[in-house]
Amino acid sequence: MLEPVRSAAASDPLLTVRNLSKSYPVTRSGLLRKKIVGTIDAVKEVSFSVHAGETLSIVGESGCGKTTTARSILNLVAPTSGEIQYQGRDVVKTFATGGREDALALRRQMQYVFQDPYLSLNPRWSVRQILREPLRIHRRGEPATWDDQIEHLLARVGLPASYADRYPHEFSGGQRQRIGIARALAVEPRLLICDEPVSSLDVSVRAQILNLLADLQDDLGLSYLYISHDLGSVRFLSRRVAVMYLGTIVEIGDVDAIFDRPRHHYTAALLSAIPVPDPTRVATAKGVRGEAPSVTERPRGCPFHTRCPAALPVCRDEMPALVPSDPDHKLACHNPR
Amino acid sequence: MSDSSSLNASVLPDDAAVLARHKPKGIWRQGCERFLHSRTGMLGLVLVALVVAVAVFGPFLAPFDPHDQSAMLDPGAKAPPSWVHPLGTDRMAYDVASRVIYGAPTALIVGLGAMSIAAFVGVVVGGIAGYRGGLTDEIIMRATDFFLVIPVFVVILAVVRLLSSMVVNTPLESIPYLNLGTIIVLIGIFGWAPIARMTRAEFLRLKNQEFIEAARCIGATTGDILFRHILPNALPSLIVMVALGIGGAILSEAMIGFLGFGDPKAVSWGQLLFFNYESLKVAPWASLAPGAAIFVTVLGFNLLADGLSDAFNPRSGR
Amino acid sequence: MHQANISRPITDPLTTSPSSIASAGLSRAPLSTGERAQVGGLVSAGEATEPLVHVDNLRIHFPPRRAPIRVVEGVSYSVARGETLGIVGESGSGKTLSSLAILRLLPRPAQIAGGRIVFEGEDLAAKSDEEMRRLRGKRIAMVFQNPGFSLHPLMTIGAQLSEILAVHERLARKDADARVEELLRLVGISDPGARIRQYPHELSGGMKQRVCIARALLCNPSLVLADEPTTSLDVTIQAQILELFEELKARFRMSMIFVTHDMGVVARIADRIAVMYAGQICETADASTIFSDPQHPYTRALLGSTPRVDQRSTRASGFRLPTIGGSGPTIMQQGDGCRFATRCPEAGPECARLAPLPLAVGPRHIVHCLKRGSAGEANHA
Repeated sequence: MLEPVRSAAASDPLLTVRNLSKSYPVTRSGLLRKKIVGTIDAVKEVSFSVHAGETLSIVGESGCGKTTTARSILNLVAPTSGEIQYQGRDVVKTFATGGREDALALRRQMQYVFQDPYLSLNPRWSVRQILREPLRIHRRGEPATWDDQIEHLLARVGLPASYADRYPHEFSGGQRQRIGIARALAVEPRLLICDEPVSSLDVSVRAQILNLLADLQDDLGLSYLYISHDLGSVRFLSRRVAVMYLGTIVEIGDVDAIFDRPRHHYTAALLSAIPVPDPTRVATAKGVRGEAPSVTERPRGCPFHTRCPAALPVCRDEMPALVPSDPDHKLACHNPR
Repeated sequence: MSDSSSLNASVLPDDAAVLARHKPKGIWRQGCERFLHSRTGMLGLVLVALVVAVAVFGPFLAPFDPHDQSAMLDPGAKAPPSWVHPLGTDRMAYDVASRVIYGAPTALIVGLGAMSIAAFVGVVVGGIAGYRGGLTDEIIMRATDFFLVIPVFVVILAVVRLLSSMVVNTPLESIPYLNLGTIIVLIGIFGWAPIARMTRAEFLRLKNQEFIEAARCIGATTGDILFRHILPNALPSLIVMVALGIGGAILSEAMIGFLGFGDPKAVSWGQLLFFNYESLKVAPWASLAPGAAIFVTVLGFNLLADGLSDAFNPRSGR
Repeated sequence: MHQANISRPITDPLTTSPSSIASAGLSRAPLSTGERAQVGGLVSAGEATEPLVHVDNLRIHFPPRRAPIRVVEGVSYSVARGETLGIVGESGSGKTLSSLAILRLLPRPAQIAGGRIVFEGEDLAAKSDEEMRRLRGKRIAMVFQNPGFSLHPLMTIGAQLSEILAVHERLARKDADARVEELLRLVGISDPGARIRQYPHELSGGMKQRVCIARALLCNPSLVLADEPTTSLDVTIQAQILELFEELKARFRMSMIFVTHDMGVVARIADRIAVMYAGQICETADASTIFSDPQHPYTRALLGSTPRVDQRSTRASGFRLPTIGGSGPTIMQQGDGCRFATRCPEAGPECARLAPLPLAVGPRHIVHCLKRGSAGEANHA
């Protein structure tokens, strides 16, 4: 049974994720059966929330679990434990055991924009077929109105209606990403989960898509969960940011506060590592040494202590909890900057 | 809004003008066009069309009934080609040309019939294995391996021989072309394993692609995903395999016929070879003609498969 | 006039000083040899003005049945000894092809259709394949984008590196191993004695790239070609590799051509920068000049449209990134005119027709744009 959507107060978060974990078994194939020899924690006890109309970005390097986190929310991977709530509805339970109508109702609230516009569109379908599919599945109006709706969607993402009968391979990366966004918008969601939507695009096209996302947010009041390793686009698009390292959030809060004055040593290292297009700016902080350990050999204690310039003995043994350090700023560090 | 959007608006219609010059083409139409331009594929298509035409119009083309042995009297058995018997007569005074022509439908029925069975079983089994994965996949693939390693020929020959002796004096005996049907079914049953492997590989490759996940995000049902997304994208490789398999099935049937295990009531090229190979030196036309028919047909399907493969998987070939 | 509706880079003053326009008017025609030498780059006192590499009017075509596709058209640049030239461009800009052409390693069916490549005073076009083979890896070395693909998966690190020394330097096995170890230590690999017995898959991406850099340096090359060497790496690792490149530059006075799409990376590593679009060079200048005084509309747009991590976003006030309309360059873009013209906010009708000849707008600053310098337009008319 699906409870009706409460008209939530502005302060109520749209999406709440609590202690989300995803672990994969490490198997060794035996003669007949695969033996489970351990687990990898791709995501470990991640908590955050997204409010209506705001953008929360999740940043981190490859393997930090940001994509797994995003995918858990729409059940593309099933979380091992933890709680995901959309306006009070239990998302995990709805997708796992709820009826199809309940799941569809959730999908009408949250949609996903994929990273690679070359892979995320069915190569054998025309744009019209691609955009008609969500209308058909969610029964958006009479079939006779679908063509109008498709035209409207294309206009919404800045594409002419004449593109409807073309096929994905005829488009450039930026245009394909617009189509991917149009497909997500077809069910009129309130939350878009954008998984590195511009990272495979060329520099000159990136800005167009980022602007489009900004326009859509302002015009439609969308909320975004924006996953990226490109901190420049994060700063442009989001108000709050969560920094992930080896499956955990190490710092979360206001984007300007964190980017101007990072408290966690990893955040600082990440920020100082970004090459800035300004040769007069000498790198202020020395880059962090060493490389991230793989998730299979995740260190005990603070995951960053192996590379941290300010590691204390306690960091080796005890995992720091994510606790508020300032208003709207949480930090997981024993010895912050 | 800022000037950026106005810039976009002014530029995209230019792109539209560029795109408008060529008509939109689906990936299918593109493939068809590429196929029409491939020399091997078109040669294969012509050969296959020739065989199909002969099979369809056989009764009008053939100068004699395939079971007509009246030539025994006039030019006699093993007579060389003449105006009346363009490809001569064989050991039993059948008209070789007519027998070869009537062999065409048999060959096509064997090829298409066996491959329909193989394709159906292969796609279903491979599809389940690929989509479900895990233990199901493991079990199914071991079964597939089993079908790949058993000596198919020996089994087919044994079953055909056993069956033909078992049905004697039972009502089953009256079923027309029972032997041929058995052969078709057996070739089909032992021919699905490679198709299952290919289907599984394609399903595995496709099921984790982003556009499938996108469909899942929208709320597509498993049926939608299987039959509207995955299968059409797997189809080109499967069609190529089936085209290759048809040639292979025809060849298998010819070999069974050549070994003398064919259906005595059916006219088949392999059997013509079987009846006549001993008189190869005296009446070479009687063996060469069905041999050439087999060659042309199998070559035709192989070239067709080649052309299809180039046309629909353009990256693999070049 | 420039300010028409171009995206304004956040930091850079747009207006060109009147004096630079005046000097710009002087030379619309292709630069004379004297000026070229000046373009060449750092000229140290002892050495002659001869640059290490000089690429002159390079053209690369894909030959289809009828008209060839001109993927690289009239690219010229020089690299002085000890200098790093950054070539910046998006995918399809011909930046990789034009650097592979120096090694004569163009992927088929691309071929050099014209132009000269002079390396250490020798014309590379005149060399035999055998001579080129000896040159590659020894005097010109290469670092590729994906270190995983450029190492042999079935040979140990030590074996594949000392093999290069055996081929090019005819070193004995023991000496070769010693040199490999020394270089691995130099590129920041700890415990190189153990690493040389490992296989590529046992190393992380950053480590593999360090091995590739060590491999490039084995024979003391005069020139290193680095094609997006940090693109496949995470940012913290990228920073380490860039730091390594900086160290090596200082230590060996290494000359380098560094190909990338990232303006930030090139700002950090390059002494001079060439910006490419759709097979043409748009602008060449010293690194600081490119960022402080970009002249070509494409360069300006590239700089302006990249959101900066070090600057507060003003999205709340409706701020949008300045953009370039349309889609990125494609190899199908043809014609003699400026290939950026279709997306350029300043383009006039002449831009699509007339080749954007180089124009010196400042010291060591060359722009290929008809809209820079008024005298130039008069020349064409």
